[in-house]
Amino acid sequence: MKRILCLAIAGVLAGSAAHARVKLVALPERARVVVSLNNPDATLVEEERLITLQKGVNKVDFSWRGVNIDGTSIQVRALSHPNDVKVLNTSYPPNENALVWEISSPAAQEERVRISYLLSGLTREVTYRAVAEPNEKSMTLRNYLRLHNNSGEDLTDAEVSVGYGSSFKKTIAHEEVLEMLSERIADLPIRKVLTWDSASLPWDPEYQKSTVGIPLSYVVTNDKPSKLGLHTMLPGKVRIFIKTKDQPLQEGEQASEGVAFTGEDWAQLTPVDREMKLFIGQSRDVKVTQRKTKDDKTNLRRNNQNNIVLHDTDEIYKVEIENFKKEPVNLTVVEHVPGYWKMIENSHAAQFRKKDAFTFEYNLTLPAESNGDKKTTVTFNLTRLNVQGNEPSSF
Amino acid sequence: MNSAKILNAHAGKVGRGVLTAPWPWAMSWPGALRTARPTIIVAVALLVVLTGHARISVVTLPDRDTVQLTIYNSADLTLVKETRHLTFKKGINKLEFSWANTLIDPTSLELRPLTHADEVEVQDVSFPARVTNTLEWRINSEFAGDVVVEIRYFTSGISWSADYVAEASRDERLMDFSGAVRVTNNSGEDYENAQVRLVVGVIRLVQEIADLARAGKPGMPTTHALRHEAAGPVPAAKAMRAFGAMMEADKLAENRPREIVREGVSEYFMYTVEGRDTIPNGWSKRLPSFKTPAVPITSYYKFEKERWGDRVMRYYQFTNSLANKLGREPLPNGDVKAFRFVSDDSLYAFVGRTSVKYIPINEFVELELGNDLEVSVKPVLMDWQKTELQFNQNGNVIGWTTKETWEIEVQNSKDIPVVLDIRRNFSGDWTLTTQAKYENVDRTKVKFVVPLAPRAKQKFSYELVTRHGTNATR
Repeated sequence: MKRILCLAIAGVLAGSAAHARVKLVALPERARVVVSLNNPDATLVEEERLITLQKGVNKVDFSWRGVNIDGTSIQVRALSHPNDVKVLNTSYPPNENALVWEISSPAAQEERVRISYLLSGLTREVTYRAVAEPNEKSMTLRNYLRLHNNSGEDLTDAEVSVGYGSSFKKTIAHEEVLEMLSERIADLPIRKVLTWDSASLPWDPEYQKSTVGIPLSYVVTNDKPSKLGLHTMLPGKVRIFIKTKDQPLQEGEQASEGVAFTGEDWAQLTPVDREMKLFIGQSRDVKVTQRKTKDDKTNLRRNNQNNIVLHDTDEIYKVEIENFKKEPVNLTVVEHVPGYWKMIENSHAAQFRKKDAFTFEYNLTLPAESNGDKKTTVTFNLTRLNVQGNEPSSF
Repeated sequence: MNSAKILNAHAGKVGRGVLTAPWPWAMSWPGALRTARPTIIVAVALLVVLTGHARISVVTLPDRDTVQLTIYNSADLTLVKETRHLTFKKGINKLEFSWANTLIDPTSLELRPLTHADEVEVQDVSFPARVTNTLEWRINSEFAGDVVVEIRYFTSGISWSADYVAEASRDERLMDFSGAVRVTNNSGEDYENAQVRLVVGVIRLVQEIADLARAGKPGMPTTHALRHEAAGPVPAAKAMRAFGAMMEADKLAENRPREIVREGVSEYFMYTVEGRDTIPNGWSKRLPSFKTPAVPITSYYKFEKERWGDRVMRYYQFTNSLANKLGREPLPNGDVKAFRFVSDDSLYAFVGRTSVKYIPINEFVELELGNDLEVSVKPVLMDWQKTELQFNQNGNVIGWTTKETWEIEVQNSKDIPVVLDIRRNFSGDWTLTTQAKYENVDRTKVKFVVPLAPRAKQKFSYELVTRHGTNATR
């Protein structure tokens, strides 16, 4: 499809009434193009052109073909003489992607005008690539901006801004996809965490045919100490690699540095000071066994038909955790309790944290090789109160 | 290219048929037309077949002297008032008016003399058999000579709409607010050099003007027409010629944006665009209506789970009042596009688009501009208790009370201060306890208004006690 985006000035055209809109005038080149991608709903393009105005009323014809411009959004602003050069009206011809501005000028002069419009089909995507150090304490994060141009318009030397950071100048043709590095953060601290959720993982691995993998995440905090914290991190796919030592291909060569892929996840929108948790794989070197060792009904209340209408509970849980790794491991154990409940006794009060009314967790650091006799055991005794069987478990 | 034409095709003594021509303008008619009327009808029928154009397109006829368009925005209705100079003879004068390929309502046509009103009287109107879009006025004149008549009718197919641009300052405390009106003509007729009046207000119509227009003559069955659909697409050549005429007309235009005069009429508000406009069929034209710099606004954010889920919605608030540099007129409903200046050389960031309702003078306005990811609200239920159980004679639970503890975490990631409006809906017999400031919106809704500094985070909590079953007292 032929794409045209043109601006014609027809200052003398009014005279030949019967052949109006004959655009035999010079097409002013774009002097500047600015693309603003800060609003995910629409892309704003602002372009500046130098046009020569005659004294009096000038017709400026703006037309486009094969370009996805929202015709109702087109605006023109005079930059050189904003107080004297005035847009009198705008006319829209039938069955055409065009409009005609009547612009009045007090003198024959050159005018820099800025034309703004919303363009659809020019979209952005954010992707991240990270390379973790072998010790998994830090990583280098690169943030890429990928522009997809299906707008019909070729953008040359466009100043592209995404709403944060400085803008950059790029040329992107119609149907081109352009990927560019927008940020690179070295030595970004990461926290490696395993998460064992009692609602989604089996309680007793002994009864499982295969090893129970425990979800493994890297946690990044969007704050100043992490060399981030300047803007909200946008959602996008994160691919995480880890540095490896590549074995020499031939004898006598030095071992070179390489990478291995450790997994990927969709990053969530992360405002400043919030954590971005990236679930990238599973760990099989930590084993969690949870058992309920007591589940008594107490304070039974029966109705006249002798049915129990209300009771409390007395529940004891034991969580045994083994770390087979040679390094300490962070493990979060997540527990869910519906309704009205109280903790009676708790072996790890310092690591206990109530997340919401029906969820609590233990944030544990398992010592290296804490297995067998050295395993970590968490016990807690809780009571559920005034149980009728219809208690809420989420909000 | 007038397709609504007046044909002064009458004659006195011989009844229909022969044209007597005591009128100077009639002398200039092409000879072929000075024949009997049936011939003309035949010729006309041929024209319709060949071109599909206006019914009579070869005759030079009394032109419109003035045209006034009063365009309504609540219905597909425009009142057209035109004046023409006609030459009458004493006795019965027949005047044919036809309007093929337009969207004129035949039941609305009216003619009245503006000069010699005492001596000129419309006796009756005939809608001839087997012809549509034509009428004949029989006018009794006691005066021979030049008479100015006014012809009024309704047409559909012309519409107007308002639109606005809000340009917020960097700190979103002020905005430059400008309005424009856009008139679109799909009526099938080119209205040249027309005075344009725009009406804001809701009027009642019991029948669609477009349906009446399609019927061609009064009393014919009406077919449901598509709104704003003209008589087919506008041929390019025709549009070109019309545009030429528009250009000619605009040459007379002055070197400045034209004033729009505003006045209230009954429950309506009328804008009269200064000067004359030519809006050819198929075209639309947008005229600036006002531009007010530095209108104070509040950048306001709302959160209500029941309405928008987890999203926080952004609003610009202002009042259409004199104190806020507006308030001289009600603002018609229309689309708004909002931008924010983000650089010293006034580059834009696109904030959002929305439509506004009709805004009376002194009305408080909220422009809903979509959700903003830079402001977040996260309500978390931190504790839930069930107590005060009551039992009936059979021992079953019939009353209980729940106590919920909620924590609301709010965050402004922007570099400008914002105001957050968080609404929570509660049902049943509830009591709210909190250190935070709140107000009751109604019996089931409360609102917390939280101002947030740039890049600030805050947390507040509340306790909600709800009495159920027999514990409830309301």
